[in-house]
Amino acid sequence: MNKLGRILLVEDDPKDVELTLTALAEYNLANEVVLARDGEEALGYLYERGKSGDGPNSYPAVVLLDLKLPKVDGLEVLSRIRSDENMKAIPVVMLTSSREERDVVDSYKLGVNAYVVKPVDFHEFVNAIKELGVFWAIINEPPPGSMKRG
Amino acid sequence: MQKSPSRELILSILWRYGLSIILVALAVVLTLLLQMAFSTPFWRSFFFVWVVIGSTWFLGKGPGFTTVVLSTLAVDYYFTPPFGQFSHDPKNLPFVVVFFIFAFVSGFVSSRLKDRETALSKARDELESRVQERTKELEKSNTLLLAEIEERKHAEEILHNQAGLLHLTHDSILVRDKAGLITYWNRGAEELYGWKSGEAVGKVTHELLQTIFPEPLEDIMAQLVRSGHWEGELVHTRRDGTQVVVSSRWAVQKDELGQPASVLETNNDITERKRAEEGIRKLNEELEARVIKRTDELGEVNRELEAFAYSVSHDLRAPLRHLAGYAELLQKSASSDLDEKSVRYVAMILESAKRMGELIDDLLAFSRTSRTEIKKSRVSLDQLVSEISDELSRETDGRDIAWRIGNLPDVSGDRSMLKLVLMNIISNAVKFTRQRQRAEIEIGHAGGEANELVIFVRDNGVGFDMKYAHKLFGVFQRLHRAEEFEGTGIGLAHVQRIIYRHGGRVWAEGASDKGATIYFTLPGPPEGTGHE
Repeated sequence: MNKLGRILLVEDDPKDVELTLTALAEYNLANEVVLARDGEEALGYLYERGKSGDGPNSYPAVVLLDLKLPKVDGLEVLSRIRSDENMKAIPVVMLTSSREERDVVDSYKLGVNAYVVKPVDFHEFVNAIKELGVFWAIINEPPPGSMKRG
Repeated sequence: MQKSPSRELILSILWRYGLSIILVALAVVLTLLLQMAFSTPFWRSFFFVWVVIGSTWFLGKGPGFTTVVLSTLAVDYYFTPPFGQFSHDPKNLPFVVVFFIFAFVSGFVSSRLKDRETALSKARDELESRVQERTKELEKSNTLLLAEIEERKHAEEILHNQAGLLHLTHDSILVRDKAGLITYWNRGAEELYGWKSGEAVGKVTHELLQTIFPEPLEDIMAQLVRSGHWEGELVHTRRDGTQVVVSSRWAVQKDELGQPASVLETNNDITERKRAEEGIRKLNEELEARVIKRTDELGEVNRELEAFAYSVSHDLRAPLRHLAGYAELLQKSASSDLDEKSVRYVAMILESAKRMGELIDDLLAFSRTSRTEIKKSRVSLDQLVSEISDELSRETDGRDIAWRIGNLPDVSGDRSMLKLVLMNIISNAVKFTRQRQRAEIEIGHAGGEANELVIFVRDNGVGFDMKYAHKLFGVFQRLHRAEEFEGTGIGLAHVQRIIYRHGGRVWAEGASDKGATIYFTLPGPPEGTGHE
């Protein structure tokens, strides 16, 4: 887990993982991805990175976070990131199946950077993942302390 | 007034003296006549003496004395020799003097006797008048006494009657003195408490009845002294040991010093009423508890529903997405190896997955309209319609549609929900007139029943058979084949749910191939009709 990825994908469903990585692979972004299978693992990875001594390049450029996760759920992960002095600037995108207004509102209240509902249609799904990857990992200027594309 | 008594007096004096003179003259005449008949010297003084006695008796001392003098002179003149003149003969003098003395003594005795007689008679008269007076007084006081006795008797009778009336009432009435001892106990009290009047009188009220007071007795007594009465609820114990709740009214009678002398206490049994009140209170409590329980249950159901919807939204979509994703990947990676049939199968899988996605989304939206709160505001239906026709332009472009939109009123409702209603109905009208050369869509309103506004959307589309009108508003109910008209069949179910939640009604009229009209009502009078 010490590999430094520019995208931290937090997703428990292996099929979603496979489909997401397939989509990212089309744009050669798959190698940049580190996978966490639940909220605890994601937080563990982030704390580990903070202690790695890599200085300003400690954190991923973006966290793609599912809402419904085993152990620690997505909203909890988000709130822990936002309440940590070192991690609170990391961009976080909710990538979820839920369109529930409550989830959207709660996420924004906790300071999410974007909220994306996974489309059922595969083409739309691929497009969404592709655009997310391109935008957050390439176009967006991440906060100081994140790994830049080297 | 002062003259007449003195004149009478003078007349009386003249009369009395005149009479004495006449009497003397009469005695002279009678004596002369007697002398002619009998020449006895005895008769000479006989009449004169009677005249003197009579005149002194009847006419008084003055005339009496006058008679004595005149008689002496007349005896000397007429009946002492020489007759016919006053005698100077010393021989006759003793007779005259004796006559005078005799006459004088007779007159004196007569006068004294008369005086005595007058005094006696006067005393008698006085006595008599006093007796009469006393008798009168006695009679008067007797009458008064009789009247008083009569009055007393009457008052006593009234009192007795009143006491009897008090005795008749079923309200329990008791009187107690300042020491708290019962002095009166009516039949109502006997009936209520079980003690006879004879048993209760003389007992201390609160001990006999084991009174439970709502406040300290001192406070009650203080109020009683201050205002003269007290009212409250007391608990008493009957002779048989059962308790009775009474509504008690106390009134105080004060003595001359203003201190309470006795207290009249009227008690009404309100045990039954209290029991009924208690019953009603309990019933209300139960009802409230049931309402709370039911509300809780409803809340629970609502939460479950929400959890269900959430689960549908999140968990049901994920496998669907995978289905579509892997089918797509299969299509991509194996397209060269697949025959035409297999390609079509994969395409069908994808289409079905997409359709199921739409159904899930619609179902979620439908459940959301039932769960979300209605936020009412003034909504312009005109504006909603114009927004909707803009949004439908992609479908209406290139078609010949005659819109007839009347002036629509402002209504009170949830704007986004009402927009969904009109969007569903109008897009249906657009959809089901697709096969018409020239589509006609009319949107208008009419007055319905009192406090009700009817909105309708009429089209000349394919319509429907009235036989199936009841199915029109069911969830996922469709009256046309999927290949004819797209859609999940949830639109009108949505409309109905929203209109019901606004307190309105919804219905449809139509015939196969002859168009359809969808009506819905909203409560409240139309608020203005102008376009914006």
